[in-house]
Amino acid sequence: MDDKTRLAAEIARQLQGLAYDDKRLAEIAAEVEVLNDAVRKAAAARLTFDDEPAAFASLMEREAK
Amino acid sequence: MNHSDTTPSDLALRDLSDVADAIGNGRVSSVQATEACLARIEAWQPRTNAFLRLHKEKALQRAHAMDKELARGERRGPLHGVPMAHKDMYYRKGELSTGGSEIRRNWTAPVTATVLQKLDQAGVVELGFLNMAEFAAGPTGHNVHHGHCRNPWDGRRVTGGSSSGSGASVAARMVYGALGSDTGGSIRLPAAACGVVGMKATYGRVSRAGALARSWSLDHVGPLTRTVRDNARMLGVIAGHDPDDSTTSEKAVPDYEALLFGGIGRLRIGLSIPEALVPVDAQIGAAVQAAADTLGKLGAAITPAKLPDFTALYRSAEVMVKCEAAAMHRPWMESNAPYANQVRTRMEAGFFIPATQYIDALRLRAHFVREFLELAMEGVDAVLLPAIPFPIPTIAETDVEQSGGPATLSMVARFTGLTRPFNTLGVPALSVPCGFDSNGAPIGLQLVGKPFDEALLYRIGHAYQGATDHHRKVPA
Repeated sequence: MDDKTRLAAEIARQLQGLAYDDKRLAEIAAEVEVLNDAVRKAAAARLTFDDEPAAFASLMEREAK
Repeated sequence: MNHSDTTPSDLALRDLSDVADAIGNGRVSSVQATEACLARIEAWQPRTNAFLRLHKEKALQRAHAMDKELARGERRGPLHGVPMAHKDMYYRKGELSTGGSEIRRNWTAPVTATVLQKLDQAGVVELGFLNMAEFAAGPTGHNVHHGHCRNPWDGRRVTGGSSSGSGASVAARMVYGALGSDTGGSIRLPAAACGVVGMKATYGRVSRAGALARSWSLDHVGPLTRTVRDNARMLGVIAGHDPDDSTTSEKAVPDYEALLFGGIGRLRIGLSIPEALVPVDAQIGAAVQAAADTLGKLGAAITPAKLPDFTALYRSAEVMVKCEAAAMHRPWMESNAPYANQVRTRMEAGFFIPATQYIDALRLRAHFVREFLELAMEGVDAVLLPAIPFPIPTIAETDVEQSGGPATLSMVARFTGLTRPFNTLGVPALSVPCGFDSNGAPIGLQLVGKPFDEALLYRIGHAYQGATDHHRKVPA
């Protein structure tokens, strides 16, 4: 079990109260790594301190045809 | 090819708008229209498995009541007496609502969805509830609990999902219109695969209250119909602000049907066959190019459109769906409730993604919208692209429960490659039939617009249907 899979196992057991086998934990760890990296990089390139989720709804109203 | 040109002599074959107007002026009764649909259901249900529950007696009683109102000179509106059925995720108080699942097979809804209330008030006759992907999670129309829904054009092929029964029932002329829902393409995919029209309106245009959620941030409620005009009429009834859904807009709802007829002579439409996003099959690309040529002949200026790199958007959308689905499904996940394997596994990562990543995905959304509007929509009124990038596959080819190999998983993932971005962006997207592939299955184009510009997409789609007859073909 690699470090990321071990971490996933700890999250599942200690934080979420869920049980998975090692194979599935390895798959989940790989999937989460891809998603986390993508969002982290996109956020680093775009987000500022003042960005908030509600800006989406405001923008839709402002850009409305 | 498994279709034939027909004349609309059979009442069930006529368009929603046509039948609704005929009911309104007394040339046809709601009971006659309902009986015509029931006859189609009897013939087509065994071939499609589109219905999960049919309420025959209740529908006929309602149709009689609608006819009596008309006899008294009372017409509720432009859908009075029209038979419909809906994806089995719109709650009706005191009635079953399965969400296509085993878990909720015997669950009774505690409220009635706002969209059903609006259709009730408009005088619609509800025939029953329709098949769907389990918990609206799946783009193909497979369902291991209630049986796969089958494409009316070829029963070996998928309907698209998750609103599988909505696409199949409208295409097979079992109903005049149906509600679907769309989190990553689930209205537009079955519309394209079954050869009907599907609208995913702007996020906030239609209430989600009382609709089973897949992802609160990305879910959109919308209609599937045979024609663009029918779709415009149906959206006009269900759209609008709802105090029970705080994400709905207070913007006035336009008269979409009245705005269909402005022509497209001064419009600029950006064409995109976005190979960089997903490989687009040559015959799909050719059909969409031909549609662009038709729109050009109708007077629109067709220009190349450049779509942004959606890689980060795709991942952000996955984070939103997985985290939100994991949160709402947690009690069932913890108790090992009976999910299909692919439904359960698609949610599991949501338990492991940090909250900061989920919040950042939500914060990124406005940036993605700005990038899309500045790049793709700059100087154009709408973008034209395919809905599904390849010919409609068979049920066996895409059965991830039975054969979840890499090729199968890849094909299923590519299903939503051209639809999913517009859920994250929240902009309106309309799927319209634009031909048939070499297997005789439908091909759909997609028109994407600026926020709340549904009327313009309808105008383009209506002009296109006025010049083509793909939507007039009926499965044989």
